[in-house]
Amino acid sequence: MSPAPKRKKVVLVGNPNVGKSALFRHLTGRYALVSNYPGTTVEISRGRLILEGIEYEVIDTPGVTSLTPQSEDERVACEVLLKEQPDVIVQVADAKNLRRTLRLTLQLVELQRPMVLVLNMVDEMRERGIEIHIEALAELFGIPVVETIATYGYGLRHLLRAIPRATVPKNPLREQHREVLGTSPEETGLPVGLIAEWMEVGDARFQRQVEQLLARLSHVRPALEPSSAPRGCHGCSTPRSLCWALERARARFLEEAVLTLRKEGGAQPRRELTPSAFRMWMGLLFCGVGLLVWEELGGRLLWPTPAMWLGHLLLRYVAEPTWALFHAHRLDLMHRLFFGHPAKPEYGLLVEAVRVLVLLAPLLVPAFVLMRHSARFLHQLGRWTRQPMTGIPILGVMLILVYELVGYTGAQTLVGALEDVLFGTYLIPWLRSRIPSGFLHELLVGPYGLISMGLTYALAIILPVVGTFFLAFGVLEDSGYLPRLAILSDRLLRLMGLNGKAVLPMVLGLGCDTMATMTTRILNSPRERLIATLLLALGVPCSAQLGVILGIAAAYSPAVTLTVLGVVASQLVLVGHLAARVIPGERSDFIFELPPLRVPILRNILLKTGLRLRWFLGEVVPLFLLATSALFLLDQVRFGARTGIEWIEHGLRPLVVGWLSLPAEAARVFVMGFLRRDYGAAGLFDLARQGALTTTQVIVALVTITLFVPCLANLLIIVREQGWKRAFAIVGFILPFAFAIGGILGRLLKALGVFS
Amino acid sequence: MEVDWELSELLEALWTLEEQGGALPQDVRRIAHTEVTDRLLERAVGAGLIAWQPSGHLRLTPKGRSVAMPIIRRHRLAERLMCDILGVDVDETEAAACEFEHFIAEGITRAICTLLGHPRVCPHGRPIPEGACCRQAEEQVNALVVPCDRLALGETARVAYVNTRSHPRLLKLSALGILPGVSIKLLQKWPSIVLQCEEAEIALDEETAREIYVWRSEEQGRDELL
Repeated sequence: MSPAPKRKKVVLVGNPNVGKSALFRHLTGRYALVSNYPGTTVEISRGRLILEGIEYEVIDTPGVTSLTPQSEDERVACEVLLKEQPDVIVQVADAKNLRRTLRLTLQLVELQRPMVLVLNMVDEMRERGIEIHIEALAELFGIPVVETIATYGYGLRHLLRAIPRATVPKNPLREQHREVLGTSPEETGLPVGLIAEWMEVGDARFQRQVEQLLARLSHVRPALEPSSAPRGCHGCSTPRSLCWALERARARFLEEAVLTLRKEGGAQPRRELTPSAFRMWMGLLFCGVGLLVWEELGGRLLWPTPAMWLGHLLLRYVAEPTWALFHAHRLDLMHRLFFGHPAKPEYGLLVEAVRVLVLLAPLLVPAFVLMRHSARFLHQLGRWTRQPMTGIPILGVMLILVYELVGYTGAQTLVGALEDVLFGTYLIPWLRSRIPSGFLHELLVGPYGLISMGLTYALAIILPVVGTFFLAFGVLEDSGYLPRLAILSDRLLRLMGLNGKAVLPMVLGLGCDTMATMTTRILNSPRERLIATLLLALGVPCSAQLGVILGIAAAYSPAVTLTVLGVVASQLVLVGHLAARVIPGERSDFIFELPPLRVPILRNILLKTGLRLRWFLGEVVPLFLLATSALFLLDQVRFGARTGIEWIEHGLRPLVVGWLSLPAEAARVFVMGFLRRDYGAAGLFDLARQGALTTTQVIVALVTITLFVPCLANLLIIVREQGWKRAFAIVGFILPFAFAIGGILGRLLKALGVFS
Repeated sequence: MEVDWELSELLEALWTLEEQGGALPQDVRRIAHTEVTDRLLERAVGAGLIAWQPSGHLRLTPKGRSVAMPIIRRHRLAERLMCDILGVDVDETEAAACEFEHFIAEGITRAICTLLGHPRVCPHGRPIPEGACCRQAEEQVNALVVPCDRLALGETARVAYVNTRSHPRLLKLSALGILPGVSIKLLQKWPSIVLQCEEAEIALDEETAREIYVWRSEEQGRDELL
């Protein structure tokens, strides 16, 4: 048998947010196969493509603004380009930002690999009345150039034809390279301009690659050495002056290229709503916002609201009359799922669907129509969302929407339906009756059983909450809202030694701190990653935990919720501020592009959510089971008179009872919180329901458990991202800190006598 | 019209001599900062920049005058700058100004002129040709090149240079399209600065924004360095 022909490698590169992953999906048919790249922990995706009988491996890379990497994800993209030796580089570009595109092209050209340039999002470009001479562009670099709209698959055929026909590009800056560096990429086969820039950037981790490149062609090196460089600024040639000279050459080239390649006014602007239709939809939108606020206030203050009214009607005229019918056909479970338990109708999925529809439709339908059909509205909205006067109320509405979806639909209804109805009423009792008592029974369905505790917890409580959160997050992410939030929060985050960019991991942390800790990679400096990781572990409550906190606090009074969240937030700011002073290094620049607002495409959001959930199930659920097993073991193994759990509780008791002034049972809550901090919160929920806690104790317990150590999954990710030493230091700080704050808060509240 | 180094030196010498009266070839050869060969003269005549007088004098044509004027202006403004601001001795300014005149951009010239308050004569007392900025002197009280956070909301300006010591920052900015010569528009000042550049909106912290210097008025020329 003849050896299989070597697969060719196609690497997709481009600025962030230009549609690489969308193209990747079209090329390979997979949304994103997430894999770890050797040596780093940043994900790149790989897929397969067969074109004209040749098999290609398509590699999707994180977005880069240039090939001089500034953050972890950019570094990964550069390493892929250098290490993988791609057979074809496909540069994916935002067609409306030609200058920036070509700047990256100029750098890619230096690699001297076959290239294709894809001008994506040509629809957005044409809407702005811009056209590009693609023939001239193809001529300039000597490579195929295709136009696409990746989200709709437009232009894909041309791309598929172009990939096998990719050519090694011409370097338009060849003369300038010669002049400044004394050599050029064509002569040496090395990206000499890039090497000079990499030397200047001086990133230690990337430096190795550069050194290797330099070693490969030592005769280039003298040219790049400061002393012998042929020409620099004012006669002194350092890598920096070389870089600046290159930068000037590049700027000059781009200036000219953009002037000749771009033609304005060639295309028609997008269809626009007529002014009267625009006014009507705007009116409806504001009515929708009003209605939402009315519902929210009504829900709290018990005004009659349309959603409540409709819910009643549904129960009265649909649920009750059909009960007998369902029961007769042994469909009790289905009826319960649709309409909820008679005692808890809010857990009914159908009832909830009606509620959500009444609540959201009046707001979302006009918003969708306007965003879809009016460029003017999108532009306006883009402005409103980034200015504080309008942006903060909009943020408020967004928070309400997310809360409705995650805190209510997810954390109450879905959790109720799954945990109470499906698992609690049917599955677990059924399993208990089937499994003979003994070790296996205890292990699977006992009080700390793998199924009765671990799986129930993972699938019935955490999954719906995290799932709805990822859904909401996906919408925010795809619409382009989050970067605008970064602007609004930049100043606040700067207090904590971070900048606006950190808003993404912080918001994601409200969904799952573990996943958020991984996304800290988008931050520019190791220092910021460390601070963000610390803050996430310390006090950003994840959605499961937040649900429980809000649930308990709401059972007492809004003042409790506000106190808890206020104290936690103030500690976040305080610790962040101190950390920023203690941890060496400088704040990195906040330079951040705002993508245009877009209407999110449902399919993409569902795919993204599905992908995140799959990750969650794969990575986090096993940890749940691990944690449950640990609890189970501690519960089973006896040392003397007590089980393991009781020993730990006993050890913690002085701290919990003496220092925090909580009842002795709360010690168990903290033990569980160590393994999974929302386990702890859930335990607190039980204690609170039994009426075992005073209001002050509830506040103290909630604050302490929120600040308490991260869950096991998060801890493991911290270890992976930051190393043992730092993970240990983080825990070593958080543990005493959480208890200290809890104790101080308890004494303060008692002294002030605010709560009972 | 673009002229090379030698030609511009020739034109400069002619201009200076014409101010004093007429320009004979031997005088031109004497004061020009370049070797005035017959070929150079032929080239200048061929390009329509200078013409021979029947009297044997050389004379700048109207075209030659328009080419020479900005060179002279740059030279003399540079002298003033060194003399008035940097405190260089008048006799020493000449050589440096000769270098200067060849590479300062029109925009910078204007900025220097404004900075110096639109001077009329050079330190040697020769007239400085008037630029557009001098004629508009009354309206132009504000500095021309300002950090971009000083623009008014919605004002459009061209990037003059990015005045930063941080190379990564420069790279990041230029990767986002903020390069000398590009038009930017200030969209928002608080809580972060937002610029529009090409079709993209870019948010910056103030510290970074202060390092982006722009020409205030749009129609005023671009940096010729580029």
